[in-house]
Amino acid sequence: MKLLTHNLLSSHVRGVGPRGFPLRLQATEVRINPVEFNPDFVARMIPKVEWAGLLEAADTLHLVEVPKEPIEGYEHDEKFLRKMHHVLLEVDVLEGTLQCPESGRLFPISRGIPNMLLSDEETET
Amino acid sequence: ITAMDSNHQSNYKLNKTEKKFLRKQIKARHTLLRHEGIETVSYATQSLVVANGGLGNGVSRNQLLPVLETCGPVDALLMPPNKPYSFVSYKTAEESKKAYVTLNGKEIVDDLGQKIILYFNFVEKAQWKELGLQALPPGLMVVEEIISSEDEKMLLESINWTEDTGNQNVQKSLKHRRVKHFGYEFHYENNNVDRGKPLPGGLPDICDSILEKWLKEGHIKHKPDQLTVNQYEPGHGELHDIFDSSLCFCLSFKVVMDFKHPDGITVPVMLPRRSLLVMTGESRYLWTHGITPRKFDTVQASKGHKSGIITSDVGDLTLSKRGIRTSFTFRKVRQTPCNCSYPLVCDSQMKATPPSFPESKREASQLEQEYVHRVYEEIAGHFSSTRHTPWPHVVEFLKALPRGSLVADVGCGNGKYLGINKELYMIGCDRSQSLVDICRERHFQAFVCDALAVPIRGGACDACVSIAVIHHFATAERRVAALQELVRLLRPGGKALVYVWAMEQEYNKKKSKYLRENRMSQGKEEEGSSDTPGPELLVEQVPDTGHKEPACQMPSISDFQEGGRNSREVTNSKLPVHTNRTSFHSQDVLVPWHLKGNPGKDKPAEPFGPGGSHDPSPVFHRFYHVFREGELEAACQTLSNVRVLRSYYDQGNWCVILEK
Repeated sequence: MKLLTHNLLSSHVRGVGPRGFPLRLQATEVRINPVEFNPDFVARMIPKVEWAGLLEAADTLHLVEVPKEPIEGYEHDEKFLRKMHHVLLEVDVLEGTLQCPESGRLFPISRGIPNMLLSDEETET
Repeated sequence: ITAMDSNHQSNYKLNKTEKKFLRKQIKARHTLLRHEGIETVSYATQSLVVANGGLGNGVSRNQLLPVLETCGPVDALLMPPNKPYSFVSYKTAEESKKAYVTLNGKEIVDDLGQKIILYFNFVEKAQWKELGLQALPPGLMVVEEIISSEDEKMLLESINWTEDTGNQNVQKSLKHRRVKHFGYEFHYENNNVDRGKPLPGGLPDICDSILEKWLKEGHIKHKPDQLTVNQYEPGHGELHDIFDSSLCFCLSFKVVMDFKHPDGITVPVMLPRRSLLVMTGESRYLWTHGITPRKFDTVQASKGHKSGIITSDVGDLTLSKRGIRTSFTFRKVRQTPCNCSYPLVCDSQMKATPPSFPESKREASQLEQEYVHRVYEEIAGHFSSTRHTPWPHVVEFLKALPRGSLVADVGCGNGKYLGINKELYMIGCDRSQSLVDICRERHFQAFVCDALAVPIRGGACDACVSIAVIHHFATAERRVAALQELVRLLRPGGKALVYVWAMEQEYNKKKSKYLRENRMSQGKEEEGSSDTPGPELLVEQVPDTGHKEPACQMPSISDFQEGGRNSREVTNSKLPVHTNRTSFHSQDVLVPWHLKGNPGKDKPAEPFGPGGSHDPSPVFHRFYHVFREGELEAACQTLSNVRVLRSYYDQGNWCVILEK
C-alpha cells in the first residue's frame, strides 16, 4: 500500500463519517519500490493530497524531511517534486494495520493489501 | 446435379412431387452443414452422406447395408452413434453415382416398422472425426458376470410384484415401470431417504447373501442397507440423480448407460446382463447417469455382449433391441452428515433449500455471500485467466481522462483495467481477497472491501469505473446503493462508467459475443434455448407419425434447482439456473461456472485431451440480476446529484456514463 493510496482511505464504520480520516497507520514491514519519476504526474497529485493525513503517516513511518505543505511554485520545483514522488509513490507498506481514529476498529494490511471489509453489523444503517 | 436431371434438358419443368423432394434434399444438405459441419459437394465422388439413415434415428446396419449394396459393393459404411445420418463409400464414383440417382428418396422401414425416406448427397470423403480415446468416468467399474444365471433367476423370483397394500417394502406401479423399495423408502422427488423411518424386513435374504459374498470378494467396501428394484419395459429408461447409487447392477438384459459430465461430455457405457456397476468418487458425485428412454441401444457389432465403453469406431456399430430390464440399486444410507469434497454439488452441504429470490436485506446479503463472494473466492484463478481482454469502450473512457486523474475501480476483479492508462493513479477494490491478490501480483494498488461501503473519502476521485459488478446485487435497493457509493467517491464534475449484464443478449438483430461463442462442448442437452429434441430426423418423413424419441433426459444440477421459468409470478420463488451462451429468460438467475483444473490451460475445443484423461470439474452458480433496457439509466436517475451523460449497449451489456 502506497502512501498516496493511504491518503485516499477513510474509515467507513457506521456513524463515523469524515472523522474516519486519516486512518492511523502502523507498519511492521515497509519496502521502498523504485518508481520512474514523472514530474508532471506528481505535480498533478499534489493538490489532491490531504496534507495532514500524509504528514501523520509519514511520521509513523519515520520518514524524514517531508515538507509541511506544498511550497509556492511547487510545480517547477524538482527537488520538492522528487521528495514527494518518493513519499507518495515509492514507500510501500507490506504488513501492518490501519486504525479508525474514531471507533478504534483495526483493519489489517497483509502482503501490501489492506482488508477493509466490515461485518454486516458494523455497516448496518 | 439433382436426381432428376441426369438425362434431362436444363429447361425441364419439375412436377410437384419432384419439387418437394428437391426441397427436402436441399434442406438435408443445409442441416448437415449448419448443425453437423458436414459439407456436401455438387460433383460426384465415391462417398455419400445418407441423411435419415443413421443409428440415431433407428436405422441399423443390417437394414441399410443391403439397400446400399444394390448399387455395388460397399467399401465402407460409417454409422456415427446417435446421429441421424451415415456415410457410405463405394469403390468407384460410378457406383456411388448410381446410388445417388436410384436410392435418393428411397423409402425403407426401420426395426420398429416406421417408414423412413433416405436422402443422399455427395461428400468429399466419408470420415468421422474420432474424439480420441474415451476413458471411463473416474471411479467407475463394471464387473461382469457378478452373479451366476441361477442366482439371477432366484433374485428375479424373490421380488414379489403382486400388490401388498399397506405393507412393508413399498411398491409403486408407475407407467411402464415397477418400483419396489427395501430397507428404506427412496424418495425420487427430493432424492432422499427418511433416515428415521426404516422399512421393516430389511433386504431380501438372497440379496443379503449375495452382498456378503461381494463384500468378501472386495467388490464393495460397505454393506448396503437400502435397495430399490426397478423393472422397465423397453423404451423406458431411468432417471438417476447424482447422489444416489453407489452400486447398481443389471439383470435380464444388457443396456447402455450414459454418463454425463457437467461440461456436456457424454460417455456411453455398456452394461451386460448380470454385471455390477460400481460408482465411486467422481463418477458418483460429479457425473450424472441415466439410461435414455430408447428402444434400441447402439452397441458394437463385433464385440457382442462385452461391457465397457461403446466404441467410437463407427464402422462397427449397430443397434441392439432392448427387452424388459430389471435393475437392483443398492445404497448405504449415511448416518452422519456428508463431508464429501464436492460441497457445491452436495445436497447435504448446500443450503437445505435451493436459493430463492431474496425478501429482505439479510437474505440478499446471504444470497450474495453464497452465490457471489464464496464462488469468486473459489474460482478466482480460473476466472482471472478468462478475463484478460479489456473492453475497448472502457479503455476509451480511461484513456480520455485527464493526466493525473485519481480513479477508483470498484469491483476491479483481477485488475484488468488498473494498468490501462499509466497517466492515471488508479486504485482497485474488490470483495474477493483472491482476486485482489492477483491485482497485487501485478503490482497494482488494490484493497478488499464491499462495493456498498467503499472506504475512500468522499469527493476524492476524479473518476470511477464499475464494470460488471452491480448486477451481482440481489435487490434493487442494493444496486442503487452501490451506484450511490460510486457517486459519493466522485468530486463534483467527476465521471463514472458503469457496465452491467443485459437481459437482452441480442440487440439490433445482432447477437452478443456471449451468445455467438457457443461451442460444441457446452452442454446443449441442458434446458436448451432451442426446442429441438435429441436425435431426430433431418428431414420430415412422409407421413409424419409424430414419433420422436425424447431428448436424453439427464437430470442435472439445473433440473434439481430449476423452479420453472415463470418464477417471478410466485413469491419466494426459486431462482432459475441459466444455460450458458443462451438468452436470458429471467432477470434474476444463477449462472453456472465450470471450474477448470488448470487455469493456465487453454479451453479445450474437444472434450477429451490427447491422453484420454479429463479433469472433471465442479460447477459453481453465481447470482446475477440482468438489466433490461433503460433500467440502469432509471436507477441512476433516482440519485439526486447526477446527470446521465451517455447510455449505450456494448456487447451484451447496458452501460452508463454519469457525471456528479
